[in-house]
Amino acid sequence: MSADPAARSERRWAAISIGIVVLLIAMAAYGGLHQAVMPQAVVETVNPRTLHIAGEFTEGNLGSALEADGSVMVRVIGQQYSFTPQCILVPAGTPVTIRATSADVLHGLMIEGTNVNTMLMPGYISTVSTRFSTTGAHAVPCHEFCGVGHEGMWGRISVISRENFLKLAEGRGRLSCVAQ
Amino acid sequence: MTMDRPPFWKTWTMAAAALVACIAAGSITIGFVLLPVLQPNDGHLSIWQRICHAAGVSRPVAAGEPPAPATITTSRVVVVPQMLMAQVPASVGSGATLALQCGSCHGARGVSGADVPNLAGQYPAVIYKELLDYASGARENAVMSPRVAQLSDADMRDLAAYYAYLPRPPAGRQAAPPIVASGSPMHNVAPCGACHGTTDYKTGSPWLDSEPFDYLKAQLIAFASGARHNDISGQMRNVARGMTVADITASAEYYARAQ
Amino acid sequence: MLPSRRLILAHFWLGFAAFGVSLLLGEWQMFVRSPLHAWLRHPELYYRSVTAHGTAMAYVFPMLIAMGFGYAVTEAALKQDLIGRLWAWGAFALVAVGTVVAMIPVSLGLASVLYTFYPPLIANPLYYIGIVLVVAGSWIWVALMSVNLRAWRQRNPGAPVPLAMFATVAGAYLWAWTAVGAALELLLQIIPASLGITTTIDAGLSRVLFSWTLHAIVYFWLMPAYIAYYTIIPRAIGGRLYSDPMARLVFVMFLVFAMPIGVHHLFADPQVGAGFKFMHSVFTGLVVIPTLLTVFTICASVEIAGRLRGGRGMFGWLIALPWRNPMMLALAFSFVMLGFGGAGGIINMTYQLDSSVHNTQWITGHFHLIFGGAIVMMYFAIATDLWPHLTGRALASLGLMRAQLWTWFIGMIVLTFPWHYAGLLGMPRRMAFYDYSDPALAGQAAAVDASVAGGVILLVSGALFFAVLVRGHFAPAADPGEYRFSVAAHHQAKLPAALNGFGLWVGLMVALTVVNYGFPIAHLLSLKNNEVPVMSVSASQ
Repeated sequence: MSADPAARSERRWAAISIGIVVLLIAMAAYGGLHQAVMPQAVVETVNPRTLHIAGEFTEGNLGSALEADGSVMVRVIGQQYSFTPQCILVPAGTPVTIRATSADVLHGLMIEGTNVNTMLMPGYISTVSTRFSTTGAHAVPCHEFCGVGHEGMWGRISVISRENFLKLAEGRGRLSCVAQ
Repeated sequence: MTMDRPPFWKTWTMAAAALVACIAAGSITIGFVLLPVLQPNDGHLSIWQRICHAAGVSRPVAAGEPPAPATITTSRVVVVPQMLMAQVPASVGSGATLALQCGSCHGARGVSGADVPNLAGQYPAVIYKELLDYASGARENAVMSPRVAQLSDADMRDLAAYYAYLPRPPAGRQAAPPIVASGSPMHNVAPCGACHGTTDYKTGSPWLDSEPFDYLKAQLIAFASGARHNDISGQMRNVARGMTVADITASAEYYARAQ
Repeated sequence: MLPSRRLILAHFWLGFAAFGVSLLLGEWQMFVRSPLHAWLRHPELYYRSVTAHGTAMAYVFPMLIAMGFGYAVTEAALKQDLIGRLWAWGAFALVAVGTVVAMIPVSLGLASVLYTFYPPLIANPLYYIGIVLVVAGSWIWVALMSVNLRAWRQRNPGAPVPLAMFATVAGAYLWAWTAVGAALELLLQIIPASLGITTTIDAGLSRVLFSWTLHAIVYFWLMPAYIAYYTIIPRAIGGRLYSDPMARLVFVMFLVFAMPIGVHHLFADPQVGAGFKFMHSVFTGLVVIPTLLTVFTICASVEIAGRLRGGRGMFGWLIALPWRNPMMLALAFSFVMLGFGGAGGIINMTYQLDSSVHNTQWITGHFHLIFGGAIVMMYFAIATDLWPHLTGRALASLGLMRAQLWTWFIGMIVLTFPWHYAGLLGMPRRMAFYDYSDPALAGQAAAVDASVAGGVILLVSGALFFAVLVRGHFAPAADPGEYRFSVAAHHQAKLPAALNGFGLWVGLMVALTVVNYGFPIAHLLSLKNNEVPVMSVSASQ
């Protein structure tokens, strides 16, 4: 069979195909490690019925928190048909971690114009780490069908300069850009 | 083409199985060991812990730092779709007795004829939740707050059962204004009927038909300013903030005129 | 003519009828959510339509085509009357009845949960029961494929299984195993919840079980198309199949690797570990290989046809190909769309690139291109190639067939290419309408308008296709002769037993499923207290 030229060209092509695939996957893994877009590291469970009563996702704790190491932790709840906080406030040029979950059904959370993209699953906590290099505003739609009001589920995120964020953060617990 | 003898078959089996096993082992090594190890470590986790995490071994959300203290009192009611679904006749009867005290404002048959909300035919979960919220202070009203202080949890369930049992005021349907029919997506307003029962129902959302115009308008304005804040995780505050004054007036008119 | 032609015609007609209705719904959906239509005042109607469209296009239509084609291959390749024809009619009835049972609550707005039916949203139980009936019918078909092959082997001990049947049975076994995931989800989680027997559900486990089915089901759809590439097209265009063993290798690779890769649908999910996401990404890469091999083998087979017709030079044989032959057009169009759709799939297969496109309209554009484009193009080819053998009449309207294929190709490109672009701009999926006046979405308006236009072209093409099939029933009678499959170009002295049987490959498929899915499913099952309340749709008033 090895003498058969047809088989030889097939083998050559098979080797090329395998090589292409190996290269693509290696690129993805390398890019992931060095550009910090990796799947969340831990599976965490939570009770969606009591998010608002006790724990990390009570209303007073939602929003952006300046951590001791200078990074920002954002806590978000998705429910039919809005995110809370409705307008997320983050500083540019800072490591930001978004922790989110759903209070009822499956939702999605995507920051348009970025690769921040995750599912919100009732019973589980989603974690995404990112960094915004420039200031600006982005739409934050829910991108998974969550009921007949799904088309109305659009939030916002506002990226402001780090100095402005730090000024706002002085003495305030949790930040958002929700007008009250 | 002729068929091959058994020994050749064993070679294929070995080769295929070995190849697949190698690929599996390689991707397991990379995915469960190498990649987790190469990721930045905050120093707290051992390699074995990181392997377990990569496998998806879950843990309940850690207590972590205490949450930031709340600046307002929020609802502590657990709302699930299955709550208060069974209607027990005895409960309705007890509720009727308790409701004698409510009729002076809310009407003898749960229809008030004034700016006080109608309760007839309201979803039981709504009545129950609002009573609990008045009792806890998540919702405040000079008239309601003192009155609920004497109600037990069973009383509240009975009242909810009773009012749910009463017939709703007749609803004539007009054409819904755009804010009600389609919402305002970029302002994060879904169509009202998606939660409030006409298209679909989200437990805890009140049935709005035939509620007094002034009451509906006042509640939306209160949600928008945050003066009313017993909506779980701010979901109605999110909606009301996205509505313009014209939207609020139009939707309140629509639901009030439903009678 | 094939002995079970009525059975096969019934499958094709019901399948294409579902396809036709669904095509209309699809274009309506595209239109009402585009800038050309005001926002729907009853958005639930959109989600109802998406549920119907998805259920018909993903479950009913390709199932019926695969089943009908499978029966045709059984009789034509094995040269035997279908064993168990009564069972086959029973299976058809199950699929038909199941479809009706499922569509009743959908039409009434009681099951607007979309064809992926992700819990905790739960619909009327009849929707799920209908789907279970459809799947049950398909499992009878799987058994019949197996039984018929076994009977042929007993009469032809040691002989190589004809390639078309080998691939068909591989596809059947793949489907039988991959359906288990959604079947478990439906039977153990969703139907009890929809009947009110349970009131909580583990939404994470449901998605994991559904992902078991969700990827390999597209390979189940794809098998008839690839069978046509290898066994029909070379014959139809006057060529030879470049390599029979390579073809078999491709099909067994699908059998092994199509299955254990579903977690690439769960890259953004919080309930699956990162290690499994990587593993499934690797194995998804592996399933690219049989397609790359197919492109090589089929292009080589087509080149043979071109050279046999006198084509010379490195590319001159392309011009010599029988372009007036609708089958040649179908293959070329299908391959172009397979190339683009496959490239999109390669982008989706890594977590890193998927993060930019997950649940945007890129994903919807992708699977419409690869399934509605590349695969359905070959369904058209299969139907028209078999039609004379089912009707006993010649299909004379070659011009009409060419026009139909051209319009389907152009329509698909115009539909899906802007669709991908809208997704790259960030347009989220599954919304009944969009505010194109907002700066965040204004850039997407033109793309959606273009897709609407593409859809109109597809409606025209669909009408032409029905015209071709119907005319085929009324043409003058003509004996089509015996149905022939393609012939291999190179004589193969030995066929390894492994490429003539399935035990090894089914074993590997099951083993890989255990390795790739065992722990995630077992772990989620072991968790207590992580179930969440069920939410019934349309529980209003």
